[in-house]
Amino acid sequence: MVELGPDGLTGYLVAAAVLFVAGVFAAVARRNAIGVLIGIELMLNAAALQFTAYGRIHAATGDVQGQTAGVFVVVVAAAEAVVALALLFAVYRSAHDIDLEKTRELHS
Amino acid sequence: MIAAGVFELGLFWTCCLVVIAGALGAATVRNLFHAVLLLGLSLTGVAGLYLYLDAAYLACVQIVVYVGGVLVLILFATLFSADVMGSVQRAPRWLVATGLLAAAIAAGVATRIAQDALRTVSRGTAGPAHGVDAIGGPGPGIGELLLGPWLVPFLCAGVLLTVALIGAVATVKRFRRSPGARHG
Repeated sequence: MVELGPDGLTGYLVAAAVLFVAGVFAAVARRNAIGVLIGIELMLNAAALQFTAYGRIHAATGDVQGQTAGVFVVVVAAAEAVVALALLFAVYRSAHDIDLEKTRELHS
Repeated sequence: MIAAGVFELGLFWTCCLVVIAGALGAATVRNLFHAVLLLGLSLTGVAGLYLYLDAAYLACVQIVVYVGGVLVLILFATLFSADVMGSVQRAPRWLVATGLLAAAIAAGVATRIAQDALRTVSRGTAGPAHGVDAIGGPGPGIGELLLGPWLVPFLCAGVLLTVALIGAVATVKRFRRSPGARHG
């Protein structure tokens, strides 16, 4: 059942796939730590979108477990962003740069 | 009715396009500030897709927590980065285009909400006719799921948030003392 449009799955899956691919690319290719963080956020959004899109298959029975999983993804993303930015802040305080290639502070 | 269907379809594909374009832009644009703004565009588009999935609660969470919270945090951190503002001033047209697109998306989402509200008012019942939204419907809502079968993950999420908060504070505090120790 390939149905284009808001009632089918295809559009959501294409959007989620592109989100995930872009996230992987950003997380791998960016040298700045914030760029990597952006990539991780994109990947988490792709996961939440897929949860919700597939969860709608059971919408006729009133099952909203897909959306609930999406809420959990948002919670995890918020916690992850807080910790990542705290780390960035700490690294910036000691090294005055957040370029991942140059920063070697946490290695030693 | 046909015009309304075409409009809704166009809005859906606009949301998809914004999600895709925002994600690709956020991953590839050289300027970090622009990348964060494009990420916000993409996240807003995802919120629009949630509305089409009858997940109104999740769309609100996406806007409030992601666009309103996480994105502002990332923007704040971006301003630490050197030479960000200089390149922004060199290319102001990007900012204008991004702002216009964000405004268009916001208008689209608002129109979708207004459409639902109008339908609800004209029918005299709450919620979409064919499906279930997060607040009401034939099955248990998100709240009932969280306090029922999903109780353990719910508690774990609470612990996770608390640990993240404490960890963030501890990290920043510990590094604040170290430069003084090194220089002293």
